[in-house]
Amino acid sequence: MKITITLRGTLVKYFNGKRDRQIEVPEGSSAEDALLAAGIDWKAIDSFGFVAINGKRVMITDTLNDGDELKAYSKISGG
Amino acid sequence: MLGYQNNVLRVDLSRKECKAEPLNMNWAEKYIGSKGLAIKYLYEELKPGIDPLSSENKLIFMNGPMTGTTVPCSGKLAIAGKSPATGTICDCSIGGHSALNIKYAGYDAIILEGALDKPGYLLIENDKVSFEDASSLWGKGSHDAETALIEQYGHDYSVLSIGPAGETLCTMACINSDYYRQAGRGGMGAVMGSKNLKAIVVRGTGGVKIPNIVEATKRIAEIERENTLLEDNTFVFDFGTTAFLEACQDGGILPKNNFSDATDIDWTKYNGDVLLEHLQGKRGCGSCGLGCGNFLKIGDVVCEGPEYESIAVAGPNAGNSDPVAIVKANQVADNMGLDTISAGDTIIWAMEMTERGVHDFGIRFGEMDKYIEYLELMARKEGVGAELCLGVKKLAKKYGGEDYALEVKGLEYPQYEPRGSWGMSLAYAVSDRGACHMRAYAPNEEVFAASIPPYTAEGKGEMVFRLGQSNAVKFSLCICDFWATLDYEIMAELMTLVTGREWTADDMADVGTRVLNIARAFNQREGFSAKDDTIPRRIVNEALSTGAAAGQKIPMEAFEDMKQQYYAVLGWNADGTLPESLLATL
Repeated sequence: MKITITLRGTLVKYFNGKRDRQIEVPEGSSAEDALLAAGIDWKAIDSFGFVAINGKRVMITDTLNDGDELKAYSKISGG
Repeated sequence: MLGYQNNVLRVDLSRKECKAEPLNMNWAEKYIGSKGLAIKYLYEELKPGIDPLSSENKLIFMNGPMTGTTVPCSGKLAIAGKSPATGTICDCSIGGHSALNIKYAGYDAIILEGALDKPGYLLIENDKVSFEDASSLWGKGSHDAETALIEQYGHDYSVLSIGPAGETLCTMACINSDYYRQAGRGGMGAVMGSKNLKAIVVRGTGGVKIPNIVEATKRIAEIERENTLLEDNTFVFDFGTTAFLEACQDGGILPKNNFSDATDIDWTKYNGDVLLEHLQGKRGCGSCGLGCGNFLKIGDVVCEGPEYESIAVAGPNAGNSDPVAIVKANQVADNMGLDTISAGDTIIWAMEMTERGVHDFGIRFGEMDKYIEYLELMARKEGVGAELCLGVKKLAKKYGGEDYALEVKGLEYPQYEPRGSWGMSLAYAVSDRGACHMRAYAPNEEVFAASIPPYTAEGKGEMVFRLGQSNAVKFSLCICDFWATLDYEIMAELMTLVTGREWTADDMADVGTRVLNIARAFNQREGFSAKDDTIPRRIVNEALSTGAAAGQKIPMEAFEDMKQQYYAVLGWNADGTLPESLLATL
């Protein structure tokens, strides 16, 4: 299935400054699987924050559907 | 201990006298500086039950030992007094450069007592202090007054000023410095106004003594490279607090129409990407390498900011998606000397009251021309503004609409919707100055890192304590909360480098807990207890409709559970009071 990964904040460097990339992943893939398929090992990124699917924050283990937008945020804090 | 000037400027405004006195170093050992030390002074020096707008209240401008050194992000100044908005203790942390000028003038703190008999300002040039006439400044906007004073004295001077809101004793009046930095919450501007003090103008040309300056400076620079200038922190240089908008939208905590929901379909119209297209430059406080300030020119308005809070309250929470109106509202509120959060929350509550037919305040969601007009009316206490400057709590009691009143202890809610971050409802409830997002920033762990599940009471007492303890000591060191990776080990090392006395990570944690306790003890003495650590009805009764937290509301039992967890971690009684054994440690 095809999904779009969008990176926010300081994560954009992992797509060489571009925000979005469309990739193909197997049915039943999780957010974590898709990020790994795009070359993003989130566990190794200290400044990794959270993920959202179609504009809703989810857990990294949540599964994707065809056409979804997966957004990954770098850490933010303060207020 | 080095780092301190060991010198306090105590000013008797009633008699127009001032004297220098030694800083109480016994208290500094226990509370360090800034937030903690200012609260300790107020705890010891204020009589319980005083009217915050009487001459009996004191206004303290307190530095820390790191102020004026090269320690990163250490340019913040605590401004503290008894709050006229809540009746609680209130300390604010203001950025800019005034903290440094006060320290370089030779003072750890300025304590203002009494009140001038007519409008004036205080001019401090190192050890020379004079009382100046402010009759030509009275009535001017805060920015306008600052401009006049800077033109008179020069750009090396710092100005701390109030706008018309402070002069009219509006309890949501703030104190401004460097134009766009505010001691925003709790009405410290009204306390300054009650003293007939329009401004403090200060210039210092001295320095700060620290031990082994060459080695210490070298190590501080290493810490800055290794720990401050990390992506976890530098996002504020890249984006400022506009970064929070999209994250809050996706996190389901972006408040809409007076907190009736927590996402906005129009969020892309005022998102950070849109605002930063108008970026003119960056701006930071003294001693800061993070430089979070965004200078924007949008439409015909120039403004530093707006920050997340000001965007959210004048944007989605007001039913508005026009970024020009958001920036204008921010600019007007700052110049009028109004806290954008409390003033904005009061207007959006009034919008909902009109929409629901509870009371016609003449304004509805999305009417931004009126929003901006009302800010000015509130600051000057004219027309409907004279009513609105009472704030949400008193207005709801007078007109009805308590089901839609978002406040704790009379301080209006910040712009992080707690139904999507349950710990935030606890943080707002137990904050020492009423609903405040700066005391324990729960979305950090519940939403933006997803390390703790957001929609449960479990573990939230410990989490809010841990976050609050860290910020209590960070603000007592005078360090900005945007240095997010700062931990107790580094705090202790910096304290050792600056003061020459050995500090440990455990010492830092102990200071944080002690500061939480003394703030609570101050409020306890004023009659506050668990009954005042409240959650607004809307958060308990109404489920969110959209976004990541759709369907969520916080059951009262869960909220009470979180409160008891929090009290237990701190060793407080079930009624939220401190036992005698803890009071004795303060």
